[in-house]
Amino acid sequence: MPADRPQRKTFPWIRAFIGTAVVGALIVVGAQIFEQQLHPVKPGGTPPPRVPNADFPTDTFDGKDVTQPINYSHKLHAGDLGINCLYCHTYARRSKVAGIPPTAKCMGCHTVVGTEKPEIQKLTAMWSKGQSPAWKKVNDVPDFVHFSHERHLQRFLLNNKDMNIKDSPDVCAMCHGDMNTVGVAKKMKPLTMGFCVTCHEKNKGPADCTRCHK
Amino acid sequence: MSKTKIDRRNFLKVLGLGSAGAALAGCDMPSYVTSDEGKENIYSYLAPEEYVIPGIGVWYASTCQQCPASCGVHGRVREGRVLKLEGNPDASVNKGKICQMGQAAIQGHFHPERIENPLINGQKATWDEALALVAKKSGGAAWLTGAMSGHQRVLIDAHRTAGGNARHYAVEVVNARPWEDASLATLGDANPNLHIDKARAVLAVGADFLGTWGNPVKSMRDYGNFRSAPRGVLMSIEPAMSMTGANSDIWVTARPGSEAAVLMGVGHILTTKHGVSVADMPSAALAFADMTPTKVLGLSDVKEEQLAKIADTLMANSPSLILANANHDTAKVAQVLNMMLGNVGQTLTPSAAITAEALLPVTGSSKDLVEFAMDAKAGKISSVFISGTNPVFLAPSKLDMAGALAKVGFKVAIADFHDETTTACDVVLPASSALEAWGTHVPVDGSDAGEVYIQQPLMENVHANTRGLGDILLAVAKGAGVDGLAEFEDYYGYLRTAVSALIGSDLEGDWNSILQKGKAVTAVNHSNFNAGGDVALGFSEPAAKAGTLTLITSARQGLFDGRHANLPWLQEAPDQISKAVWDSWAEIHPKTAAKIGAKDGDYITITSANGSITTRVFIYKGIHQDAISVPMGRGHTNYGLYAKNGVNPLSLLDASSGDRQTTELLNSGVSVTVKPTGDNRHLVRLMDVDSQHGRKLAATITADQFDRNQGGA
Amino acid sequence: MPSLLGNVFKGWSDYSKGIEQGGNQKYEHMFSMSIDLDKCTGCNACSTACYAENNLAWVGEYKFASRQSMHWMRIERYFDEPDVGSSDPESLDRGASFLPMMCQQCNAAPCEPVCPVAATYHTVDALNAQVYNRCIGSRYCANNCPFRVRYFNFYDNAPTAWPAPMDQGLNPDLSVRSKGVMEKCTFCIQRIRGANETAKREGRELKDGDIVTACQQTCPTSAIVFGDLLDKTSEISKIWKRQQVKLGTYKQEKENKDLRGYRIFEELNIEPKVLYLERVREV
Repeated sequence: MPADRPQRKTFPWIRAFIGTAVVGALIVVGAQIFEQQLHPVKPGGTPPPRVPNADFPTDTFDGKDVTQPINYSHKLHAGDLGINCLYCHTYARRSKVAGIPPTAKCMGCHTVVGTEKPEIQKLTAMWSKGQSPAWKKVNDVPDFVHFSHERHLQRFLLNNKDMNIKDSPDVCAMCHGDMNTVGVAKKMKPLTMGFCVTCHEKNKGPADCTRCHK
Repeated sequence: MSKTKIDRRNFLKVLGLGSAGAALAGCDMPSYVTSDEGKENIYSYLAPEEYVIPGIGVWYASTCQQCPASCGVHGRVREGRVLKLEGNPDASVNKGKICQMGQAAIQGHFHPERIENPLINGQKATWDEALALVAKKSGGAAWLTGAMSGHQRVLIDAHRTAGGNARHYAVEVVNARPWEDASLATLGDANPNLHIDKARAVLAVGADFLGTWGNPVKSMRDYGNFRSAPRGVLMSIEPAMSMTGANSDIWVTARPGSEAAVLMGVGHILTTKHGVSVADMPSAALAFADMTPTKVLGLSDVKEEQLAKIADTLMANSPSLILANANHDTAKVAQVLNMMLGNVGQTLTPSAAITAEALLPVTGSSKDLVEFAMDAKAGKISSVFISGTNPVFLAPSKLDMAGALAKVGFKVAIADFHDETTTACDVVLPASSALEAWGTHVPVDGSDAGEVYIQQPLMENVHANTRGLGDILLAVAKGAGVDGLAEFEDYYGYLRTAVSALIGSDLEGDWNSILQKGKAVTAVNHSNFNAGGDVALGFSEPAAKAGTLTLITSARQGLFDGRHANLPWLQEAPDQISKAVWDSWAEIHPKTAAKIGAKDGDYITITSANGSITTRVFIYKGIHQDAISVPMGRGHTNYGLYAKNGVNPLSLLDASSGDRQTTELLNSGVSVTVKPTGDNRHLVRLMDVDSQHGRKLAATITADQFDRNQGGA
Repeated sequence: MPSLLGNVFKGWSDYSKGIEQGGNQKYEHMFSMSIDLDKCTGCNACSTACYAENNLAWVGEYKFASRQSMHWMRIERYFDEPDVGSSDPESLDRGASFLPMMCQQCNAAPCEPVCPVAATYHTVDALNAQVYNRCIGSRYCANNCPFRVRYFNFYDNAPTAWPAPMDQGLNPDLSVRSKGVMEKCTFCIQRIRGANETAKREGRELKDGDIVTACQQTCPTSAIVFGDLLDKTSEISKIWKRQQVKLGTYKQEKENKDLRGYRIFEELNIEPKVLYLERVREV
C-alpha cells in the first residue's frame, strides 16, 4: 500500500492578506511621518493676516536657508522701510510671475543709498558689468504647475472691494508668509497641492485640473 | 494540514483590517512638500523696456529667410528668447501665414551645431584676423550666393564694383527661371502679378505653386480663396505628383520632358475644337496646328480625351491661369495660351516693382551654378565669397564642383552651419541666424504693394561671436575700401540711414512704425505688359524614349533643396506625397516596379552615365511609368548629426554644357537603369496604408453637389 | 457632504438630458473645430507649428518606425476615393486626399472613463483634458481612442529632442512631458488659458477670435476654423449650423444632402467635436 501522499498546503490567504495590508499601511504612514520630519508642515501657526473676503489655510513651513548672490534683506526693505511688495515685484499684478525686480530698480536707490555697504558694492559691480545676479528660486513649484500671480492678485487684492493696495503685503503673506520677518527670502508656506486646493475650495476658486496643470 | 478556515466571520474581520489600513494611509490630503528651494536659478533683468514683462510674450516683426520667398513674420519673445514664429498679418506676401519651413526656423536658430567662431583653414581665429585676411586676399572677388535682395544686395554690388566688377552668381536650384524668361519674352515682364484667387481654373505644368514654386505661402493663401464658392478647378500636368498635383481636380501624368508638347496639344484643341484665335501669333498658330493629339500621345502618353478635358475646362471656367515651369519651352506655351484665353490683364497683371532698383531681388538659377563651376575651372575666378548656398551639395557630380573650387585661390564662406561647401573654404565667417540679424528684403511677387520687408533681431545672439550677414558684408565692404561706409559702426546704423532715405524720413516715429509693421512701403513703377508680337514655340523631344526610365527630381516644401536637412522637425515631418520620414525614396509606378522586380521596401540602385545612387522604392500610381523620381533634400555628406540619411539625386543630373540659357537642372531628367540590390528594409512612413478601406475618413463629394449647395461652409 | 445616492440620481438626470442641452455638465464653452478638406493642401505647416507651440519631441527614424512619435496633429494622405471612385485605374487622376487628424475632443470620449486615475476628463470648456502629472501610464486611453491620436512617452525624449541650446526654444506656458506620460492635442489649452487671462485683465468676456490655435494660425489656406460652439455669433457655430451637423446624435438629418460637413467615426456615438468639410472633385 503506497504511503500517504503529503497533503498539499493551501496557500495561507488570510495571512497573506493581513500581512500585505499591514506592511502597506506601515509603508504609507511611515513615509508620511518620515517626510513630515524632513519637512515639517505646521498646521495653524501665525495668526491670519487681515484679508477681507478670503479664507485660507494657515499652515506654515520651515524652509531651508538659501544663499543668494546678494544678501538682500526683506526685513530691512519691506519691514523697516515699509516698501510695498508690488513696488519691486511689480509684475505680479500683470503677469503669471511676480518677478525678481530688474537691477535698475535696485540701483534706483542704491546709486546713492548705502553705497559703502559690501553687498551694495557687489550689486553695483554686477550692474556696471552688465551681469544679472543668479538668484536662487525659493518659492518654487514643480514645472508642471502653472500658477498665475495675476489671477490671484485680481481676486484678493485688485478686484477685492474691501482691500486697499497699500495692504498688499497681507495678500502676499497668504502664500509667502510674513516677509517682514526674514532677511534673505525663505519658503514659509508648504505650497503643496493640498495647500492650494484647500484655499480654492474655501474661496470658490476653479477646481478644473487644467487651470493649473497644462 | 492547515487548519485555517476562511469562514464568513474571519473574512469580514480581515477585510475590515485591510481597508482600515488603506483608509489610514489615504486619510491625509497630498501634503508632500517638494524641497525644490535653491535648485533653480532665476535671472532678473537689468533694465528692461517698460513693455517687457516676464511671463508675457512680446511680439516683434521680422522676415523669414528659410526660402527665397521672404515672408513677413512675427516672433514671440519671452524673457529674451524667441520661441515661435507666426506670419505677419501686415505683410502682403503672406498676410499672417507661414509654412512649416518658417515654423522650423526656431530649430535652426537654437541648433547645437551652429558655427560659433571664425575659422581660418579650419582653425579657430578672431574676427580681426579673419577679416584682415579676407581684406588682403579677396580683391576682385566674385560672389556666389542664393537669391538675394535688399540692402545686402546693395553692399555686395558695392563690393564688386570697388573690386573690378566681378560677377555675382546667384544659385537657386529651385527656381522660377523658365517662367521668368518666358514671361519676359512674351509679356515683357519677368514676374507678372498672379491672381490665383481670381481665377476660375488654374493649370499648373511643372509649377508646384502650392509647394515650392514662387511664393508658396502667398499662393496657398490665394488658393484658399480660389476654392471658396464659386469654386475654382485645379489641373496639373507633370511626370510625378507634386503637392500641387495632389490637390488637383484633374491630374495628368506625362512622360518626363514632354510637357511642352502636351501643352501645345491643349492649344491644338483650343484652336481647332473651340476656335480660340491665335491671329497675331502665326508661328504659334502653326505650332499648335502641327501638334496633333496623336503626336502628343506618341511623345507623352497623354490621351486625346485628357487634352480635351483640360481644354474644355479652361474654356468653361474663365478667367483661367496657366502656370508652367517644367522647362523654358513649356513656359512659353503657357504664356501664349494665357494671352489667347484672355487671362492677361485678369489673372496675370503687370508687376509693379519698387523704384529703388538697387534693392530689387536677384532670383537664382542653376545656370549660375554651372557657369560658376566652368568659370572657376577655367581659372577666371581668383577669389569668391559664398553665402546662402551650398554649391558642393547642389552641383551634379560630373560638374566637379569640388575641383572647380580648388582652382579658386581664396574662398570665404559666410555660413551658420558647416556643410559640404564650408569645409572647402579657406575662411569661414560665422553668420548669425536670420532671427538675430538685421536686413531688408524685397519679395518676388510682382505685386504693387511696394513693400520692403525688415528683418530685425528677435533676440540677442545665441552665440556671442557670430555676426549678422549685413554686419559681415559691411565689414568686408569697408575692408575692400568701398566709399561712404566709414560712418556706420554696424549694419543697424547703415540700415537706419538707408531705410530713412528710402522712405524720405529719418524721424524716430517713422522708423519705429516700420519696425512695428515689419515693412517699409515705398514707391513702385507701374508698367504695362509689352507683348512681344509673334512667339515661336518649340519643344524638345523628350530625352527618354518610351520604355526607358528617366530619373527626375523635385523639391518638397520641407527640406526644400536640402538646406533644411539639418532640422529634425523637418526631417520628421512626413513628406506630403510619400509620407516618408528621415530617409530618401525613389517613386515608381507599380508597372515599373513589376518590370524591374521591386517590391515595397526594396533597395534599388539607380545608375546613370553620371554615377549611381541606391535607395528604397515607394510604389504608387502618381507617376508616369517611364519616370523614377527621387525628391531632393537628403544625401548630405557633411551637414551635421541630423542629416545623415538618404541620397542626393542632384549628383546624377546632367550639367550639360549645351544651351544653359534654357536648361534648368531640376527640369532635365537623366536616363537611368534600375536594379534591385536584394536588400529590403521597410521604408519608414507616417502611414503604411494608402487606402481608406471603405471608411469615411477623407470623404469627397462631386463638384456638382458643391455647386448645387452654393459653396458649403 | 452631499449624500452619495443623491449625487448618483442628480447626475443621471443631467446625463440623460442629452449632450446638446448642456448634458451632464454645465459647459461654459464648447470649443470645436472645422477643417475644410478642399482647402487643405496637405502642406504640413500645422503639424510643425504644433511641434513648436506644444513642446513636441521629435524622436528620430527608429522610434518613428516603432510608432512612438509625438505628432499630435498629423496629415494623413489617401489615394483612394471610396465615395466617388477614380476613373483611371493606372493613375491618380484626381490627386490625393489629405486629412489633418488630431484629438477630436469627443464629448463622449471613450478615453475618459477608462483612465484608472482620472488623469483625462472632460473640462467645463468641453475639452478632453490630459493632466500629465496625474497620468500613471496605463495606456488604456490610447487603446480606446478610435482615431489613434493619443501618444505615449515611451522614452524620456527631452535630452535628444532638445539638446542645448535647443531647449531655449521651449514654450514655457506648457509642461514638457517626461517618460511614462500620455499626451495629445489639447486645442492649445495654453492659448485658451492665455486668452482667458487677457479677457479677465481687460474686464470682458471671451469673444470669437480671441483664441487662435497654433495650427489654425499658421494654416496658409485658412482651412482650419476654431471657436466656441456655445457662442452663437462665432464663425464655428455658424459653420456647424450651415452644415446642419448636430451634436448629440450620429444620425444627422440634413435637409440638403449636398452639404459637406461630417464627422469621422460619429457612428461610434463618441461625439467628436471636429467637423470636416468634404473635399470636392470634378467627377
